[in-house]
Amino acid sequence: MNPATQSALIHGAVYGTIVCLAVLTSIAMGIWFERKFAGRMQSRIGPTYTGPVGLLQPVADVVKLLQKEDIIPRDADHALFNLAPPLAAIFSLAAAAVVPFSAKVISADLDVGVVYILGVGGLMVVPTFMAGWSSNNKFALLGGMRAIAQSVSYGVPLVLATMVPVVLAGSLSVSGIVDWQATHHWFAVWPILPGLPAFLLFYLAMLAESNRIPFDIPEAESELVAGITTEYTGAKFTLFYMAEYVHTMVGSAVAAALFFGGWDGPFAPGLHWMVLKTLLIFVSVYWVRWSLVRFRSDQLMDLCWKRLTPLGLGLVFLAAAFVQYWPGGAR
Amino acid sequence: MGYFIDSLKAMATTFRQIFRKPATYEYPEVIRPRAERLRASFALPDDENGELACIACMACEKICPSQIIHIKSEGKRESPVTGKKRQYADTFVLDLTACIGCELCVQVCNSNAIYMVREQEVPGFEREDLVLNLERLRANAKSKTAAWAKGTVLQEMQELPKAEKKPAAEKKPAPEKKPAADATAAPPGDEKPAPEKKPVAEKKETPAPAAPADATPAAAAPAEAAPAAEAKAAAKPDAEAKPDGEAKPKEAEPAKAEGAKSDAAKEASA
Repeated sequence: MNPATQSALIHGAVYGTIVCLAVLTSIAMGIWFERKFAGRMQSRIGPTYTGPVGLLQPVADVVKLLQKEDIIPRDADHALFNLAPPLAAIFSLAAAAVVPFSAKVISADLDVGVVYILGVGGLMVVPTFMAGWSSNNKFALLGGMRAIAQSVSYGVPLVLATMVPVVLAGSLSVSGIVDWQATHHWFAVWPILPGLPAFLLFYLAMLAESNRIPFDIPEAESELVAGITTEYTGAKFTLFYMAEYVHTMVGSAVAAALFFGGWDGPFAPGLHWMVLKTLLIFVSVYWVRWSLVRFRSDQLMDLCWKRLTPLGLGLVFLAAAFVQYWPGGAR
Repeated sequence: MGYFIDSLKAMATTFRQIFRKPATYEYPEVIRPRAERLRASFALPDDENGELACIACMACEKICPSQIIHIKSEGKRESPVTGKKRQYADTFVLDLTACIGCELCVQVCNSNAIYMVREQEVPGFEREDLVLNLERLRANAKSKTAAWAKGTVLQEMQELPKAEKKPAAEKKPAPEKKPAADATAAPPGDEKPAPEKKPVAEKKETPAPAAPADATPAAAAPAEAAPAAEAKAAAKPDAEAKPDGEAKPKEAEPAKAEGAKSDAAKEASA
């Protein structure tokens, strides 16, 4: 093992651990915040009794979930059933590896970071369907089927939306795209035509990929009991629950990096800006979640293939045209 | 696109909501203002001599639709305070878990010996925690605020109107008589000036009674209106008849009212 590989591994291990812990902690606080936020949206006050202003609520949640009995259905496929939750957690966290939290804080600065993120993000469908299939439960299976349809479909607009900053910056590396934005301008601001719609497209596709409301079809509480997580209890359910939040959080971070200049910002160090942007997008996911209702399955496909995919194609075309023909647009 | 705009509207609505005051009352610390007539639990108060007011008449036990009141009494004995003989409730058990809060027990209590209170019982871990016995019911009377109603208050409300409200009292029985065969008798009964008028009206308007008699019960109602109007018109010239007429209904009415009351009581006890 040559010294360069060695140092890269150590760097990755150290920063990866820090990033994972930071993401998981912020998820825990995010759950607290979501409860408060949702409460205020519904004229309630949210948790108050667990610690000051309910701050220990996530701890209570986790303790409660871990205390629960671990039940495996008799006719379930035990290997797959047990493998699915950790895989979900791993895949969702793995995407955080290439997200630049500041110019220095990045676990692995891949040249093909964007491709890596899309690939790992796309892998999320595997544990989801594993859970749906192995549970030996019709609701879980239906949820798994829906998850495949949804993830595969929404992968297309997600990739197309991601292509816009890639084309504009001329780089597949996430840190490269952020660098370009730091020296030029944020893509959500300029060029505004492919930039801002591309962000909205990315945002919608990200919601769908991470199965958040209004695209929570695989879970679809009112239709499928709890969808893929129907048979899961205790720690395994916790992992799924966590994976969903991690996925959303990492997706928010990627959106912040690709469209809002990542760590670029005045007055404060880059890390602050990146965290601020990530959390703002993360909170907006909650906002959407507590405001909108779920799509029907066919409406979801309709939206994806008839609206978002053509829109994404058009945006990529516009981005290419901008780079080629706009005076000063060429890099 | 329409969905997109509607979604933005929905998000604007939820965003505005954030800045509104939450509707939550944090119950054990902040107690929401209780309604005047809130009925949460029961209390057995003392009478003016400091004794239990309940005389174990069993009215509440009998009327309770859920059959959750059980009273036992060891018969009459001398009161240590007044020296008079009276009955006491020696055990009084009220199972609040099955109470439907109808307040009928309060309503039938002639001695105001049970009323409902506005504060809830403390939640318990066992069903027995919500079964109230005599001690707890008496303690409630001291520690909790009474709801609006007492037995005698409710009974007064249920009473038929007194003599000064003559017309209202007389009109009530009248419609019940309508389908009956003596439809002709009803319209004069509606009139203020009373029974004296009846023969007068009938004598003057001979064809009128004949018509309703022929008519079917359904048609009787409009037919009745006509004789009533005629009777009114007839009443005016016969002003002298009034003094005689006034004296009679006064006697008749209390009897009527009492009859109605006993009927109501029968129904209630049944």
